[in-house]
Amino acid sequence: MEAAASDRRGAAGALALPLKTAGLVLLLISAVVLGTGLGSVNVPPGEVLGALWRGLTGQALAGNDVIVWQIRLPRVVMGVLVGASLSVCGGAFQGVFRNPLADPYLLGVASGSALGATIAIVAGWPRTLIPVTALLLALAAVTCTLALAREGRRFPPNRLILAGVVVGSVLSAATTALILRGEDRARQVLAYTLGDLGFSGWPDVLTVLPYAALGGGALLLLARALDTLQLGELTARSLGVPVERLRLITVVAASVATAGAVAYVGVIGFVGLIVPHVVRLMFGPGHRTLLPLSALLGGALLVYADLLARTTPLSQVGIVTTLLGGPFFLWLLRRQSSE
Amino acid sequence: MNRTFLIAALTGFLTLGGASAATTYPLTLKDDLGRTVTVKAEPRRIVSMLPSTSETLCAIAACEKLVGVDAYSDYPQAVTKLPKMGGLYDPNIEAIIAQKPDLVLVSQYGKLEGPLTQAGITVVAVNPETYDEVFSKTLTLGRIVNREAQARGLVTRMKSDIARVEILTKNVVRKPTAYLEIDPTPYSVGPNSFMGVLLTKAGARNIIPASMGDFPKVDPEFIVKANPQLILGVDARTAGARPGWNSISALKTGRVVSIPDELNTMLGRPGPRLPQALRGLAKIVHPELFK
Repeated sequence: MEAAASDRRGAAGALALPLKTAGLVLLLISAVVLGTGLGSVNVPPGEVLGALWRGLTGQALAGNDVIVWQIRLPRVVMGVLVGASLSVCGGAFQGVFRNPLADPYLLGVASGSALGATIAIVAGWPRTLIPVTALLLALAAVTCTLALAREGRRFPPNRLILAGVVVGSVLSAATTALILRGEDRARQVLAYTLGDLGFSGWPDVLTVLPYAALGGGALLLLARALDTLQLGELTARSLGVPVERLRLITVVAASVATAGAVAYVGVIGFVGLIVPHVVRLMFGPGHRTLLPLSALLGGALLVYADLLARTTPLSQVGIVTTLLGGPFFLWLLRRQSSE
Repeated sequence: MNRTFLIAALTGFLTLGGASAATTYPLTLKDDLGRTVTVKAEPRRIVSMLPSTSETLCAIAACEKLVGVDAYSDYPQAVTKLPKMGGLYDPNIEAIIAQKPDLVLVSQYGKLEGPLTQAGITVVAVNPETYDEVFSKTLTLGRIVNREAQARGLVTRMKSDIARVEILTKNVVRKPTAYLEIDPTPYSVGPNSFMGVLLTKAGARNIIPASMGDFPKVDPEFIVKANPQLILGVDARTAGARPGWNSISALKTGRVVSIPDELNTMLGRPGPRLPQALRGLAKIVHPELFK
């Protein structure tokens, strides 16, 4: 199957990649257009463009402008940022751990962030503080994982994964204990741990942007080194790749991007795990194509998932990604293996 | 407030107490879990695992029967001194059994009935969820604990107290459109839910249509589009910080009211303080009627 696939890629490869890339770009653009136009009120395209124009030029907003410019568009942009971040981080983690089951939450970011959010929610602090505590605890959780996994100056992958599992479990238990203390707010915590893009405004988008840009950007720069690492640690070392440093930088960069995303929208499952696999099945495993294309596909998928969440009883983007992502991925796998 | 309530309770007790219909035991009934349960004799040691049930029992002169309550029962004063048996999701089953109750009243959630039934304790699930059930379940509780007359008296009093508020709100010319938030995710209440009925009776027009269900998760843009004249359950600062909300009529006119804790507790509790909850809500919706 691999051989046949790479043959096909070889024959039409020169053309296929730009074409498929263009396809993903179109998918992302269509997601943004539909995501901005559709919802509890459907706004015709002309009016959407008008709203964007009035929003950008700072004119007075009229009619549906407020919904398009102040609610929907930031929500869509947030979806793109979060979907892209999670997918790039997932791809990089799968590469650096050489483990197909790795996802951005592998090292305890999600559990840390959920605990942080839960503390703020149960204590009844103002909503603006929720992302702050979530972010702090997400980064603290990863720091903990790194400290536990360290052997001298090395961070062996298996120890990292185990440490991540332990830190994640401990923090999840703490979160559960807190929820039981503040039962009346359990619904809010549940909504957060399922991931939700509601109430994402421009200020939130601008806060998440640097994390996504710094973390994601650093990972894109590491793509070539990640490719070399796939040949095995020894080979990578002999080709001059500083494996330990690569691992540490990848973990830190991915954690920064993921923590920023999760802090604001909660724990959206499945995207970071599945999107890189889909891109691999379609374009092959090279990280220099995998990471940027994962960002495109992940951004588009999350916006579509959120559109479904807003307009159907599925109600939360995290539910949509998991409910629809699973079967879709299985179908793709079967289709690939039957070829 | 409390004193008038007491006087009303006493007069009710005197007028109806004479014509009391005693419950005949063993009493067999279908509870809210769909189980057929038999209460062998008049219960004397009751554990209540639902705050509204604790309140109802105390309001029908059965307070002295209580030997334990759940962690959230906090009204009336008498129940705060009772041993606490944990919450809905983390009940302390051993503590419940240790009280040697002859009856445990549970909600239909929380799976308490299994282990307690196995321990040989009579368990009845009574769980009012709709507005009408508040009254019917009060009568059911009255039958179970041999306080039928008191229960009927309580229901009559509650209905007349509610009518007194409704007389004021029914004929109001301007009924504001309102959005009631019960959770900042955000969740709101549909018109057929217990709280939705109270909102309507308080003289507001709920922006949530019945088709959205009883406790729907709401898309924030729906609220902006509906443009309510009154927002309840959020404080003005939080509401103002939400994207696009400054364009909502309620924010422009300053009609964003966070519900005080005590009223919030009453609103979420389908029990005997329902008329007070309604009055409190009506005062917020139509302050001009209560001057």
